Amino acid sequence: MDRRTFLKSAGTAALVASTGSLSAPALAQGANAKVLRFVPQANLANFDPIWGTQYVVRNAAALVWDTLYGVDENLVPQRQMVESEEVSPDGLTWTFKLRPGLKFHDGEPVLAKDVVQSLKRWAARDPMGIMIVAQQQELTAVDDRTWKWVLKKPFPKMILALAKNNAPCSFIMPERIAQTDPFKQITEYIGSGPMKFNKGEWVPGAKAVFEKFDAYVPRAEKASWLAGGKNMLVNRIEWVIMPDPATAAAALQNGEVDWWETPIADLVPVLRKNANINVDISDPLGNIGAFRMNHLFPPFDNKMIRRAVLTAMNQEDYMRSIVGDDNKLWKNLPGFFTPDTPLYTEAGGEVLKQRNIEMAKKMIKDAGYKGEPVVCLIAQDQPNTKAMGDVTVDLLKKIGLNVDFVATDWGTVGARRAQKTPPSQGGWNMFHTWHAGADCLNPSSYTAIRANGDKAWFGWPTSQPVEDAIVEWFDAKDVAGEKVAMDKLNKSALEDVVYAPTGFFMGYQAWRKNVTGVVKGPLPFFWNVAKA
Amino acid sequence: MFGFIVRRIISTIPVMGFVALFVFSLLYLAPGDPAAVIAGDQATPEDVARIRAGLGLDRPFLVRFFEWFFRVLQGDLGTSIFTGLPVSQMIAQRIEPTLSLMSVTLVIAIGFAIPLGVIAAWKCDTWIDRLVMSLAVLGFSVPVFVVGYLLAYTFALQLDWLPVQGYTPLKNGVGPWLTNLILPSVTLGFVYIALIARITRASMLEVLQQDYIRTARAKGVGQISILFLHALKNAAIPIVTVIGIGVALLIGGAVVTESVFAIPGLGRLTVDAILRRDYPIIQGVVLMFSFVYVLINLAVDVLYTLIDPRIRY
Repeated sequence: MDRRTFLKSAGTAALVASTGSLSAPALAQGANAKVLRFVPQANLANFDPIWGTQYVVRNAAALVWDTLYGVDENLVPQRQMVESEEVSPDGLTWTFKLRPGLKFHDGEPVLAKDVVQSLKRWAARDPMGIMIVAQQQELTAVDDRTWKWVLKKPFPKMILALAKNNAPCSFIMPERIAQTDPFKQITEYIGSGPMKFNKGEWVPGAKAVFEKFDAYVPRAEKASWLAGGKNMLVNRIEWVIMPDPATAAAALQNGEVDWWETPIADLVPVLRKNANINVDISDPLGNIGAFRMNHLFPPFDNKMIRRAVLTAMNQEDYMRSIVGDDNKLWKNLPGFFTPDTPLYTEAGGEVLKQRNIEMAKKMIKDAGYKGEPVVCLIAQDQPNTKAMGDVTVDLLKKIGLNVDFVATDWGTVGARRAQKTPPSQGGWNMFHTWHAGADCLNPSSYTAIRANGDKAWFGWPTSQPVEDAIVEWFDAKDVAGEKVAMDKLNKSALEDVVYAPTGFFMGYQAWRKNVTGVVKGPLPFFWNVAKA
Repeated sequence: MFGFIVRRIISTIPVMGFVALFVFSLLYLAPGDPAAVIAGDQATPEDVARIRAGLGLDRPFLVRFFEWFFRVLQGDLGTSIFTGLPVSQMIAQRIEPTLSLMSVTLVIAIGFAIPLGVIAAWKCDTWIDRLVMSLAVLGFSVPVFVVGYLLAYTFALQLDWLPVQGYTPLKNGVGPWLTNLILPSVTLGFVYIALIARITRASMLEVLQQDYIRTARAKGVGQISILFLHALKNAAIPIVTVIGIGVALLIGGAVVTESVFAIPGLGRLTVDAILRRDYPIIQGVVLMFSFVYVLINLAVDVLYTLIDPRIRY
């Protein structure tokens, strides 16, 4: 073979090889219809729903791990893995029984010992779990399907604790995995939920893949949020992480992804114009905007100055800074609890209904404000906190407070807000955040409403009336009793200004029209979602 | 030459050690707390403190540094705080998309920039020269993400020729691989084309004034041969230098490009790690990039001797 012949042969071979791969067969229509491509709100950076309590982890975990109970769309807990439960007349012994035939993804049956160990791990991290453990006498498996939780004092909210969708949820894992220290990460992702996690294809920051678990036994009831029959109508769900909203919008328009969890308000008009895309509210429970004042140091150690800030606030300014002109997306919130839910109250909320700058100025003067700088941490990398922060800074200046605007990132705010040192020594006076409305239905998982001083959430408010009202709610035996407690709680939390609510806002989700079964809820529910 | 290469490789060891110490110190001093991010927004300070202790982040600086440093010496870059996966595995997952992006970008950039620079020099002070240089100024001035969005809008959304985002591994075929890389590579290559074209033009202008070029013309050598065989070879040293320097630009640009086109590469891995304060990943990636950069400089030095036999080390 001479040089020219060799080069020709090699060139031809290379061309054939490359065209061969160019003409690789496309996925058949049917197979493609069984793969749902979803853009989640954030990167799935870890996958332990007890160790890491970010919402994105909880959302993915709900596919892989099942729960004993699940809250439905009416916010009522329903049985899920549990077949029956029984509580003794004195309210001290709870006996639960598992549904038959439940299996983990490794083929092993789900047993009571798995449940007991999973509950122990969950209860070490969950605020309600901690309360149960504080009253616990024993938590033991009785037989393969039965376990009992014996308490020293009745805990009427037991079912709610096991059903709630706030992170951490009481996901059930195999005993050997649940034995992991709750402050250390698990490395095996075996659950009994409707989808299996494909660890081999997991590229944190880029992709997470879930595959249908054929041995899953759905309940017979109609699916409703975390309750009912979790029937999977797709074989594979691919979470595609897209840090850039414009890219996600373009990918959705181009049909490269099927469902985007959190389109930003600016891009919603573009998506609405596309005939192939549906846009609707994603979570009717929405979010509550907030800024927290540090109760340990001047000027916000003075209740009158905190009240003055509330008096000067106009929630519409905050909400429009987040959602723009879309009036469907926000509401005034003269209180701390999620609107349009059974226990919602506006008791004591007058202060947030009528802005009064002049009165606020007078209150600050009367409180003896000495011009101390207000160190206001504002995370610039989170659009919501940046928008709210800008409004607050303007507000504080208007009422005569001396603002020290600290523009930083969320990672820094997360670390600095834990500092209890004075603001001049690395501490802070104020930071902005928001709470998922699903966490703010009642005090059960509402860490931010606590006012137990050193043990409270950042800002460390102290208010005995608030704490008393929380205890009263937990002890209430009926809805009427709960409502009385909630009124007291809202009123006292506003009176002492546990934190400043800046309003209620919601967001949209968007999906292609060949996808059906998408519902509104506090997390994306993939069961009963089909793709044509 | 062999001795030179060995000496240069050995000299990277103290450089890497210094980089390691510098990066570790910088991250130690930087504000932020991965434990707070892991614990979530509803976590209590006690939860955050326990997670911090579980991760070993509450130990003294020197203990943490030397523990990490000795592990690195054994080839272990540590474990990601968030994913619990080995850093080397995470880098390995991400290296192919970034290498692919950089390679295709380099091919596109060199393929366009050098001919453009040569033509601009040849047609100096004509409208062609001015057009090429105007394009170069545009390339420098327009931010990468703007170019990316415009290209995606035109070629993906309007014309539907190419995908908006994503990456297909090379093992799935050259066609799908290249299809996903065209838009990001052109986007990233835009600045690079501008840089190389300007340097090529300047270098060529100098060479084209030389006596031997005039002699070649007098001997009747064709214009193409003069430009690409006689002049370009002698103008190559600054061009090769700027290509080497430009690889650093590519690494920086890859961060933005990978985000805009949702490519799961090292750039995005680094940004995500910085935002979350995933220290082992940041340290691992920076260490790797600094090593790659040292090697690229070495390759450029070696190339000098191949282009210009007068250069000896």
